[in-house]
Amino acid sequence: MTHAADLADRLTEIVGPRGVLRRAGELVVYRSDGLPGYSKQPRLAVFPRTRDELVAVVRLLADQRVPFVPRGAGTGLSGGALADDVVLVGLNRLTRILSIDPVERLAVVEPGVVNVALTRAATPYGLHYAPDPSSQAACTIGGNVAENAGGPHCLKYGVTLNHVRAITAILPDGEIVRLGNAEGEVEGYDLLGAFIGSEGCFGIALDVTVKLSPNPQAIRTLLADFTSVDAAARATSEIIASGILPAALEMMDAATIRAVEASIYAAGYPVDAEAILLIEVDGLEAGLEADVARVEAMCSAAGARTVRVARDDAERARLWQGRKKAFGAMGRVSSHLVVQDAVIPRTRLPDILAAIREIAERQRITVCNVFHAGDGNLHPNIGYDANDPDEQARVHAAMREIMAACVAAGGTITGEHGIGLDKLDYMSLIFSEDSLAAMCRLREVFDPARRANPGKVVPVHSCREWHGAPRAAWSA
Amino acid sequence: MTVPPGATSSPPASSPTSTADVRDIVGEAIAHKTPVRIVGRGTWLNAGRPVEAVRQVSLDGLSGIVDYTPGDLTLTARAGTTLAEIARATADHGQWLALEPWGGDAGSLGATAATATAGPMSGALGTPRDTVIGIEVVAGSGKLVRGGGRVVKNVAGFDLTRLMVGAWGTLGILTEVSVRLRGLPEQEATLALPVPNAPAPLAEFVTRLRSAPIAPLGLEIVSGRLAARLGLGQQAVVVARLAGNTDAVTAQRAALGGLGDVLEVPDGVWTAIRTAEPAEATVVRFSSTVARFHEVWLAADRLATAGDGYAHASVLRSSARVVLAHNDGALPDGVLELLRGATRDTRIFERLPAPLWPVLAPSRATDRLSTGVRAAFDPHHLLNPGILGEAHA
Repeated sequence: MTHAADLADRLTEIVGPRGVLRRAGELVVYRSDGLPGYSKQPRLAVFPRTRDELVAVVRLLADQRVPFVPRGAGTGLSGGALADDVVLVGLNRLTRILSIDPVERLAVVEPGVVNVALTRAATPYGLHYAPDPSSQAACTIGGNVAENAGGPHCLKYGVTLNHVRAITAILPDGEIVRLGNAEGEVEGYDLLGAFIGSEGCFGIALDVTVKLSPNPQAIRTLLADFTSVDAAARATSEIIASGILPAALEMMDAATIRAVEASIYAAGYPVDAEAILLIEVDGLEAGLEADVARVEAMCSAAGARTVRVARDDAERARLWQGRKKAFGAMGRVSSHLVVQDAVIPRTRLPDILAAIREIAERQRITVCNVFHAGDGNLHPNIGYDANDPDEQARVHAAMREIMAACVAAGGTITGEHGIGLDKLDYMSLIFSEDSLAAMCRLREVFDPARRANPGKVVPVHSCREWHGAPRAAWSA
Repeated sequence: MTVPPGATSSPPASSPTSTADVRDIVGEAIAHKTPVRIVGRGTWLNAGRPVEAVRQVSLDGLSGIVDYTPGDLTLTARAGTTLAEIARATADHGQWLALEPWGGDAGSLGATAATATAGPMSGALGTPRDTVIGIEVVAGSGKLVRGGGRVVKNVAGFDLTRLMVGAWGTLGILTEVSVRLRGLPEQEATLALPVPNAPAPLAEFVTRLRSAPIAPLGLEIVSGRLAARLGLGQQAVVVARLAGNTDAVTAQRAALGGLGDVLEVPDGVWTAIRTAEPAEATVVRFSSTVARFHEVWLAADRLATAGDGYAHASVLRSSARVVLAHNDGALPDGVLELLRGATRDTRIFERLPAPLWPVLAPSRATDRLSTGVRAAFDPHHLLNPGILGEAHA
């Protein structure tokens, strides 16, 4: 049994009085992450400022056998960073960029470094950090590692996994391990690959060595405007099948376009379009115009009304801002927004978008689509009022139907947001009991006591000998 | 009957033709506690790896493309499918599986994934770790497990795919593999240009090469001896594979021309480089930082010369490979010492004479997490025991 006040006192000895939250009123802000609909209150929250403090905190929690949940910026969209009556370990104060090596094109960062801050620091060297989730102005590299985050430009450049060279991690029992190799190749099991995307269940990264990518010599950003979603989907399939690999290929439907254009992020999208594609091609200057011409031709052939190329960096930035802030803009439409995430084979885009439309109409809900069309990564977003139980039930039913449709098309239930709490129920749609049990085995290798982010990712019933997710045994 | 390390005779083989067959074989191995050796098409040479097994499982009968929708740019095939079959099927649609690993296209997709073997394009286009998107595997526990899927982005659950890629079959027998494909470039050109052999000029040359306005798919330095075999003269050269549309290739060709006297080379040289290795060889890979790459290359070249072999190195990956045509453990004087300490960079022994495994390549999979993973997936230690160079009972 652990006495919460005693534990809070001991944590305070490590991180100081301003690094521990213990009163219910103070902890309310940590009840949710970027996904509405879940509310779990941590018992305590602790915010180490240095690596040594973090190590001491994790070791104290190990010593006391208290479960914990690591949290970056809390921008996650699967309920993964919620701590249900356990200790929340906030990593957002570990914000130091430890080194940038422009020759090796590597950076070493603490887990709380904000994604865009790393790119900003690399800019003087003509480098950037490639994974660019829409939340990049707030989300952290540690959180990106936990979720194996993507973003629009991962179509060409790959997701977080493809950009991390090494991690020093502290396992839940307090042992510090080095995964990967910053200075060369690795043999043996790909433990680094296993750690990335483990949603905080395998430990906490103390530092992360990431690759920095050279800025492309030339970039062209195109905006193609369609009178039907179907035509935009067909253009997407054509471009992907053509062999041209755009840096990004994003789709937004009419509802999203109007929400963005009515907001402070207005990007100049055509408000009467049923769908737009935002397409970026980059690389060497030589040959780029020919690729742009081919992409334009494919869009036109699929029925685009107009295709325009951003004239300069300012216009390009504006077109992208509308896309990246689309979720925020939707706040104008409804009080709550579920940003969903699923992936389908790219040839299935037209029929799955039609299926989503049908589901939305039948369930009488509003779905806005803004997503990474180029890799088939859908984000059907549902605006609703969480205070209306009937609407909430219909939203829930629609979600399940959409997920089932994506799975039936040969897809998966999440491309970049993770399972967290939100998608536990869908895991059995794509994985057998034996596969889920294998995932439990893997988790136990890293965390035999399964105290890190308990109850997330793999449904508890899949781990036969488990008796519910471990909880903290608080004494009065 | 245990086959001693380095023995040439093969244990009795079984040839499953379905995932169910593989499950039966693993079930039987568990029941009788008989270790098995997993073989793809049998082309990847025995690599000298000291596996002790009483039965061989050959996957050449577990072959064929299961699912290929060209517009999705993904493909799923049974593990024993040859890379050649995949290359043929995808080329018909202007696509390719951009792995092109060492050893040629007669090898299987399953073995390529299991060994995470990369080739000269991996610096630009990635390794099996980046290309494999899903697996089906019969784990050493006998359970049929799937990881990933058939779509190009997927974060559902813990990453069993990454765990199986490069595990050398020690966690399970891969039965099916899904990969992402790429569109074939509109145009390609391969050029060679001479490489200086003194440290300072070499370092400067490599720096200029890296900062040139080119985006090569491959950029491989080959030693004089390999160059001679490839018909590229007697001196070390760097071979560049340029790709893109006509304008892009033309501009890159001009950029390379600014760095030296370029020689147009037939595209077939890449296959020749991949298949140059003798069936029985010692192969060591040195990976380094960008800053030390030129030193590592020179050390690799010296080692190759001393061992009567050849070397080549990827500029894009900062990694050099030394190929020595000795597989009897009788390396020339001093070579063993060089193998031990040629550089302080990461050394990976791909293939070695069996007697040298315990001497040179003690297992790196001995940490708590690696042994834990092994025990979790192959609890009876029946799959390819010894292949990671690990000590075992």
